[in-house]
Amino acid sequence: MTQPLLLDVRGLDGGYEPLQIFRKIDLQLAQGGAVGLFGPNGHGKTTFLRTLSGIIDPWDGNIFFEGVQLNRPGPRGSRRWRNFNYDAVTRRRMDAKAVARAGLIHVPQGNLLFPDMTVAETLSIAPYASSGRASASERLDYVFHLFPRVKERRTSKIRFLSGGERQMVAIGVGLMAAPKLLILDEPTLGLSPKLRGELSEAILTIRQSGVPLIVVDQDIAFLESLIDVLYLFDHGRISRRIEKADMPTHEEIMKLMFGEDHQ
Amino acid sequence: MTLDTIALILLGGVVLGALYALMATGLALVWTTLGIFNFAHGTFIALGAYIAWQIASTDAFGAGFVVGSLVSVIGMFLIGTAVYYLLIKPFERSPDIVVKSVITTLAGATILENLINIAWGPRNKQLGAVLTGDIQIIGLVISRNEAAAVAVSLLILAALGIFLQRAPLGRAMRAVAQNREAAQLMGIDVVRLYAVAFGLSAALAAIAGILIGSIRFMNPLMGSDPLMKALIVVIFGGIARFTGPIYAAFIVGLLEAFMTYAVGLYWSPTVLFVIMIVVLVAKPEGLFGKHRKSV
Amino acid sequence: MRYSPSFNRSSGLVPALVSVVALAVLPFLAGSNYLNHLLVLTFIFAIVAASWDLSLGFGGLFNFAHVALFAVGIYAYGVVARTLGLSPWLGLLAAGGSAGLIAALITLPIMRLSGIYIILVTIAASQVLYQIVISQSQITGGTSGMVSLPGLELFGYRMSRDGKIGYYYLALTLLIGSTVLLYKITRSRWGRAIVAMRDNKYYAVSRGMSETRIRLYTLTVSAAISGVAGGLYGSYMRVASPDNFGLGLLGLLLSMLLLGGAGTIWGPILAAFFVTMVSEALADYGAWRNIIMSLLLIVILVFYPGGLWALVQTAREGFDVFRTQALARFRRRTGKTAREALTGASERMVETRHGRIAVADSGGAKPALLLIHGNSSAKEAFSAQFKAFSDRYRVISFDLPGHGVSDNADPDRDYSVEAFADVAEDVLKALAVSHPSVFGWSLGGYIAIELAARGNPINALAISGTPPLRLVPEDVGKAYDATSHFVLASKRFLSAAEARDFATSTTGAKDPRTAHLHAAVSRTDGRARAYALGKLQIVDWPRQMRFLRTASVPFAILNGAQDPFLNHQYFRDLKLTQWTDEPADIADAGHAPFLLAADAFNAKLAAFFDSIQNKRSDGEPAPRTISA
Repeated sequence: MTQPLLLDVRGLDGGYEPLQIFRKIDLQLAQGGAVGLFGPNGHGKTTFLRTLSGIIDPWDGNIFFEGVQLNRPGPRGSRRWRNFNYDAVTRRRMDAKAVARAGLIHVPQGNLLFPDMTVAETLSIAPYASSGRASASERLDYVFHLFPRVKERRTSKIRFLSGGERQMVAIGVGLMAAPKLLILDEPTLGLSPKLRGELSEAILTIRQSGVPLIVVDQDIAFLESLIDVLYLFDHGRISRRIEKADMPTHEEIMKLMFGEDHQ
Repeated sequence: MTLDTIALILLGGVVLGALYALMATGLALVWTTLGIFNFAHGTFIALGAYIAWQIASTDAFGAGFVVGSLVSVIGMFLIGTAVYYLLIKPFERSPDIVVKSVITTLAGATILENLINIAWGPRNKQLGAVLTGDIQIIGLVISRNEAAAVAVSLLILAALGIFLQRAPLGRAMRAVAQNREAAQLMGIDVVRLYAVAFGLSAALAAIAGILIGSIRFMNPLMGSDPLMKALIVVIFGGIARFTGPIYAAFIVGLLEAFMTYAVGLYWSPTVLFVIMIVVLVAKPEGLFGKHRKSV
Repeated sequence: MRYSPSFNRSSGLVPALVSVVALAVLPFLAGSNYLNHLLVLTFIFAIVAASWDLSLGFGGLFNFAHVALFAVGIYAYGVVARTLGLSPWLGLLAAGGSAGLIAALITLPIMRLSGIYIILVTIAASQVLYQIVISQSQITGGTSGMVSLPGLELFGYRMSRDGKIGYYYLALTLLIGSTVLLYKITRSRWGRAIVAMRDNKYYAVSRGMSETRIRLYTLTVSAAISGVAGGLYGSYMRVASPDNFGLGLLGLLLSMLLLGGAGTIWGPILAAFFVTMVSEALADYGAWRNIIMSLLLIVILVFYPGGLWALVQTAREGFDVFRTQALARFRRRTGKTAREALTGASERMVETRHGRIAVADSGGAKPALLLIHGNSSAKEAFSAQFKAFSDRYRVISFDLPGHGVSDNADPDRDYSVEAFADVAEDVLKALAVSHPSVFGWSLGGYIAIELAARGNPINALAISGTPPLRLVPEDVGKAYDATSHFVLASKRFLSAAEARDFATSTTGAKDPRTAHLHAAVSRTDGRARAYALGKLQIVDWPRQMRFLRTASVPFAILNGAQDPFLNHQYFRDLKLTQWTDEPADIADAGHAPFLLAADAFNAKLAAFFDSIQNKRSDGEPAPRTISA
């Protein structure tokens, strides 16, 4: 390989103490690529993404971003004494700030953002993460071009926005950070079909502009239009890796994941 | 009641209000940002006053009021961040951080209070008036010292307000207060911001302590009554807006001044507390708040 | 799922009785005026802290007026006993009543509040109470308080005589009484509603619980108990001081509550003793005492937030691990012949990835049959199978880590279905066995499926008492009939009565055939129960299910028809194609058919193996399906 993978996740374990949520996740993303994650709710996709972006610590395994290791190497120390507050004596194994500043930008699911800040203020926070990768005003123009609605509402407070507008702002904030990799966790969740279409369109535009993506969604057709590789996420594991050429239909996937007797 | 009496009460109320605003804003800063209530805030007020006294007073180092105040404010900023790292941060990921921080800040207050007692003794001290003489404002006579205290409070609150609205760090602080995780994902260093918020709050407490010390007396327990008042003010004003506690502080200051005159010294705190409970029942988000931040 | 055995069946009985007896005889052995005084205060504070825990720990309501209500009790006692000149005993009642009443009033403003707002309002409320008390100086004595309150007398005997012995026993009795009351409350429907409201308010409300009533009830009851303690305090100290409304006493009692461990009744009581004694030991240090006490509190909260009660639990776990390991070692040395007589196979130790494992192996160059036992059991459970099958098979069984005479192991790494499957692999490898037939019972059934699903070559697979699961935890509720004893399967510590209950449910009433399995329950490392079942969620269930549906390994389910744990309909609904159409239930057998209905079970298992044999010799593929 001539250049390192953009993202290389090796044997990642994690969860919420003391419950392990996902284990031995391997996920590779080439420069300029896009992957989709698909799987039932409650099987650990969001927890995995939260670990990836450093909100919670991984238990074991490694995350490399552009060849640079994001986590402190080695498995986490044993937590033998159940009642001891290890948080008081152990260092974090990942640093969300460093992850964001490296360019791995996570737009979380159902993002509520900052209810009492205006859209413009919110967008002005994001350059914290871009650390000089791009000029803020250019990025802002791009976001306004992509989401004219966001521009219209830039003086409104976030909590007066509709769900769709909020999601646009959330993605806009992600773009303001000049992402080298953008993670979108169920970007179209809970939106009306019209808005969903509008937003899907915009995400497609983002993808076509060459931004690498990790997208979680429940809509296989939408994922298929975006990505190169689909990972099936099942019971906290990657149960299958599917190239775009072999992309199955929704029915086939349901059968793959739940067997013949899924309801 | 003569016009003069009313004027006197009004002035007293405004001075009280300015001090309360300073204390309550400090308290609210920690409450909004970290979602916890700092019971050591009253002790911060006392400690700030004593540090300033130690540096400034001619009975001690005698370096003068300005140096003393500066050292005290900077020192309290550092002490505040230290208190955050020692007493609050270990519970960062604990679900019951609210109760735990109540008891650790209470314990921290006990420690600081006793240390003040050991270091400076329980007797009253005075920082001494900085300015002497009176001035006249629209026909009312007020001591220069008290006028300066009100002016300083307002200036500092204005500066803080501008900082939070305009400065990137201030904006980041508001962002963290509203959604910690989203702020983290945008590359904001949450722990550092928390520490800064705690430090700023302690520095505000120090300023309040210095002002109290310069217009009244100081003793190791001088912060406990202001803490309770600041608590009322914060509840009155709500924490949704920066200005809420400030308006509320002046209302409470004026109310207190009038009630001390009308119903007597003993009853005025009771009335205040009853009003506070009524406010909480009717409008838990505060008189000037729009939405409720429950923790 | 509800499991609340009566106290005399729980493992708290003995320590509780010992403590009560010790405290009851203490004044005779080492009584001194001073010690009695300290203990009276300890008892009173213990009552206040433990009753506070009902609202704060169990209810999640941060009622910071609790200590003010204790002070209200003191003043109510003073007013009734001194100002009104009524009987001091009436004063105690009035103390409880007034504290409860005021608590009910305080509930009104906090009805709709949550979290930190409750703290603020209740602090404000206690300030109001304080202000009212000091403003009514003609009744309450204002800031100087009430002095020389009358003490309690019983039939003319002054309780403070003979080294305060009367107060000592009165306070002890009240402590026992309030503890029993709190224990009963937390175990009652109301108690569970209180906890439910704390843990998931909206769910609890949607199940028809009234938040208002629960809050009212919780705060009133806990305040009434605290008020009675206040009355007792007033009668004992004979002063009522406004200082009792202050942050100082609040901090002291809150530190007892949190040091002991919120959400337990026993923790705060324990901490009351600890804090009073430590504080007394530091009495000579003046201001430094407060500093040291506060530092201690901070250090404990920061590093050991569960507090003293968690420490007791840890110590208990340490002891239990030591006890079970010692028992395993002892039995390994002394009971080998008896065990070998049971199975007729020789026992040896095998090194595996998860520690040293005891293996029973009947030996010989015959096809292998591996038997895997269940939770809290041992390999000797299969003695009847060893006897019935070792003529045709090389019968092998082993004790899981933490079970039987195998060693205890590291709970994180070694106690899980997957680790147990590793152990099975290692045992097979160590004995150089390939293509065994595998039978797993209960938890062992999951291990057997896991072993097979990993692709280890297996001749045939049979399970008993093991519902294959598709989704965890959803299917657990469908697959199992949750009798109360089911909860014991994952309980870390079993009292003697609980161990008996569990052994009876899983194997059968204690008789010569099951006695060794009853003994196996109390040998089992409690962590193995807690961890193995706690980690069920991370087993790769879809892989197991895919294996059962698609692999060509012959498969049989041999349940006891009367198995108390299983929902038999679940098995029928699964429609797992297998040896027979339906699970081959063994009539009149419980969870362990191979033990108590051994002949019928052995016949079925043999029939299963024979059918494979016949098909194979006919050159047909193994029988998976009888019908579609």
